[in-house]
Amino acid sequence: MQAAAEKKVLLKVDHLKQYFPVKTDSLFKPKAYVKAVDDISFHLYEGETLSIVGESGCGKSTTGRAILRLDEPTGGKVFFSGQNILDLNKKEMRKLRGDLQVIFQDPFASLNPRQTIKQILNEAMAIQNVVEKPNRMSRMLELLGYVGLPAEALDRYPHEFSGGQRQRIGIARALAVNPKLIICDEAVSALDVSIQAQILNLLKKLQHQFQLTFLFISHDLSVVRHISDRVMVMYLGKVVEIADKKALFDSPLHPYTQALLSSIPVPNPTLKRERIMLKGDVPSPINPPSGCRFHTRCPFATEKCKAEEPALREMGEKHFVSCHYAEKFR
Amino acid sequence: MIEKNKPILEVKGLKTHFSTKRGVSKAVDGIDFTLHKGETLGIVGESGCGKSMTSLSILRLIPSPPGKIAGGQILFKGKDLVTLSENEMREIRGNEISMIFQEPMTSLNPVIPVGEQIAEALRLHQKLGRKAAWDKAVEMLKLVGIPSPEKRAKQEPFQLSGGMRQRVMIAMALACTPEVLIADEPTTALDVTIQAQILELIKDLQSKLGMGVIMITHDLGVVAETCDTVAVMYAGNIIEHAPTDKIFEHPKHPYTQGLLDSLPKIHEDQEELRTIEGSVPSPYHFPAGCRFASRCPFQQPICHEKQPELLEQKDGVKVRCWMYTDQWTGPVGKKEAVK
Amino acid sequence: MMMMFIIRRLMQTIPVVVGVTFVVFFIMQLVPGDPAVLLAGEGASKETIQAIREQLGLNRPLFVQYFDYLMNVFRGDFGVSLKNSQPVLDEILVRLPITMELAFFSIIFTIILGMTAGIISAIKPYSLTDSTVMIIALLGISLPSFWFGLMMMYFFSVKLQILPVAGWDSILHIILPALTLGAGGAAIVARMTRSSMLEVIRQDYIRTARAKGLRERVIIYKHALRNALIPVITVVGLQFGALLGGTVLVESIFAINGLGRMIVDAIRMRDLPMVQGGVLVASLVFVIVNLFVDVLYRFFNKRIELN
Repeated sequence: MQAAAEKKVLLKVDHLKQYFPVKTDSLFKPKAYVKAVDDISFHLYEGETLSIVGESGCGKSTTGRAILRLDEPTGGKVFFSGQNILDLNKKEMRKLRGDLQVIFQDPFASLNPRQTIKQILNEAMAIQNVVEKPNRMSRMLELLGYVGLPAEALDRYPHEFSGGQRQRIGIARALAVNPKLIICDEAVSALDVSIQAQILNLLKKLQHQFQLTFLFISHDLSVVRHISDRVMVMYLGKVVEIADKKALFDSPLHPYTQALLSSIPVPNPTLKRERIMLKGDVPSPINPPSGCRFHTRCPFATEKCKAEEPALREMGEKHFVSCHYAEKFR
Repeated sequence: MIEKNKPILEVKGLKTHFSTKRGVSKAVDGIDFTLHKGETLGIVGESGCGKSMTSLSILRLIPSPPGKIAGGQILFKGKDLVTLSENEMREIRGNEISMIFQEPMTSLNPVIPVGEQIAEALRLHQKLGRKAAWDKAVEMLKLVGIPSPEKRAKQEPFQLSGGMRQRVMIAMALACTPEVLIADEPTTALDVTIQAQILELIKDLQSKLGMGVIMITHDLGVVAETCDTVAVMYAGNIIEHAPTDKIFEHPKHPYTQGLLDSLPKIHEDQEELRTIEGSVPSPYHFPAGCRFASRCPFQQPICHEKQPELLEQKDGVKVRCWMYTDQWTGPVGKKEAVK
Repeated sequence: MMMMFIIRRLMQTIPVVVGVTFVVFFIMQLVPGDPAVLLAGEGASKETIQAIREQLGLNRPLFVQYFDYLMNVFRGDFGVSLKNSQPVLDEILVRLPITMELAFFSIIFTIILGMTAGIISAIKPYSLTDSTVMIIALLGISLPSFWFGLMMMYFFSVKLQILPVAGWDSILHIILPALTLGAGGAAIVARMTRSSMLEVIRQDYIRTARAKGLRERVIIYKHALRNALIPVITVVGLQFGALLGGTVLVESIFAINGLGRMIVDAIRMRDLPMVQGGVLVASLVFVIVNLFVDVLYRFFNKRIELN
């Protein structure tokens, strides 16, 4: 990793909000909203991997989709290389998509079943017009080489491949346009561990090879620990903690992060740990709890937590926590 | 403490095959294991290894046709479940052997109140009256930690969260105090904090009720934390069967080793993960030799010729690998193979 | 919650009904033939025709005529028949109950026969029973109802002489027309029930029910059927629309003086107010039935309320 001073910010998310209206049964009741992402800010340095972790409904995937403008954000700004991409028109946005690629959990759903791998890669290059037509064939072979697929794969269809291989195709397609940032949305979650390891190794290798920046969205904390430089923990649409990987995993400051880390079953029966058992379920994001959103499940919650929303405070070297009592947990 | 040594379920040479247009798929191809009272046995493996089909075979719930138990015995309290009539089998299901499934979202009937879904099993097996069965159902909901159980019992599944639905599934499975509980990926669809709650609940109820638990999972972390013994499955076979601490400390089979190595660790940093090259052979055409041979870093000619048996070693670990037999001629000794 | 839903659905029906009046009114204008000429009779002078036209207000601009008509309808005045100067509404009120009776028995027949056949098929899919039932269902959909009606009439009334040929006097008179009218719908409901049941039987919760040790009968009727019928309800609702259309033919074949036959006669006579009134009432009935089906659907499938 580079020294802090040299780091260049590639993506800056500023007060991003993503609300979805909920259908109500009454004509007269005010519209309710799911505040899937509620005023979050963070940034991503060039060449690093930032992971967003959290449980279902925390807004991690919504954040990724909002950055890609797959859903139009309700508010906030998203700067990519200094430019607010939410201001871009359709044409400019299409151009930008060459720099901004995404890999989804289910590669099968995002690959056209009637296209051969050749057509899929060709189309990706044609849309962005990154490679001249005569050079495309050699580029495709090059791409397959990068992701570890044989040249014969070109004339086959997605259904002829296994889950891991399809994810490789998805990666090749993303690479085809020379992106700067790749958003990996649960990209390895559906894979068996042995295959997952292959894909994780591949992603790391490609990152070094092409100086890629990853925004890695996942619910699997072990995977996140393996791949990330920095980690951001979300809960009910808010950022609760963001820090370097080591700081976050070794000395988490937010009670939610601590509980989350202690909940993961570890494949080592000799390791006996103190488990913080959280009570109850994650509350509904339609009517999130007042104050600190975690207060309903937090073992340390006080009256202040119910009333006041904690700000994201810097508690150590680039270690931000949104908890009134973060000092206590140091 | 519960008497732990009494075997309650013995599976011997179980084979479950599926006949399709493509041929016969040997999903489960000759497995043996014994479950004792109060014991938690983990069955782990990657998708398609046959672990779920094993659990469905025990209750004879495999979709048939095309599935069929093609051989072997499932001995439960002296009876062979494979040969029982459908009527006799029904008296065991949900009564003496129960099952919970992976997807709490889809495993409960969406149009029937959850209380009734629990009560119907009680009326059927325990011959309780309507009122008594309902009261017991509410009591079960309370037992699995559902707040205001009287109210919840009248609700339909869509009104409950995923974690609560899995609690309902558990209440339903345990209503008739079964002797064996089969949990097929019970927490895979749940968030980690909810997973921790559910695993805790299963453990807690097991110690209260003393049943044997078969925990089917792909998550080695879940195995490490909940199971007493582990059977690792690969391509329809058990390839290693050992007490949990032994398997995690000294995995013997090269596949078990590979599986553990390919896991990213939460407590340490690794630059690169070890992977297992190649892919699982098709269940329609298993090779003649060891089914893992083509992917094995230690493979020898003998591995491709004949399938090894699942043999018990001196330390009590059972492993299906030529490396642990006298026929082994490979350059890597047993000692080195066990890193 | 349900009340709000019903009120909202009722309000949504208003534009539908106005739309129907609009379409019916203007389509009738496109139909060749001048009602005034028909009324005046053959060889009437131009002056007579013009006089009739003025008397009926047919000389006014179309939109004025339409608006006028709409206002009258809202007051419950459907106009008078051009043929016999009787109020249209009176005629409709005589005819409507007959058609409703026919439709009611047909839909009951559709539901009972269709669902039973569908369930029988689904319990043993791809068996001989299933194939037989489904071939009959396919015939039911393909055969035109006028031919089917005439065949039944020939067989039961002429050959066997156990049922009356035509008319509308006793319960026996209802059987053949109701069967004719409901046959196509029953076939569609049977196919829908079958595929819906087969879909439901594959669901995880059916496996859960089996794992509980329930009997196959309980699994089918308690756990599967309730879920399988949810989509069938919608189909039955749609069938009711097709059924109303079918009354036109069936009433003509079996000489039943219902609303359908009234509309056919009125069209033949260019009896504009009668046609408009009849079609309007028929579509009103359809809209109300659909509302009813929606409420029923919601009742059976409470999950919709959440999303």
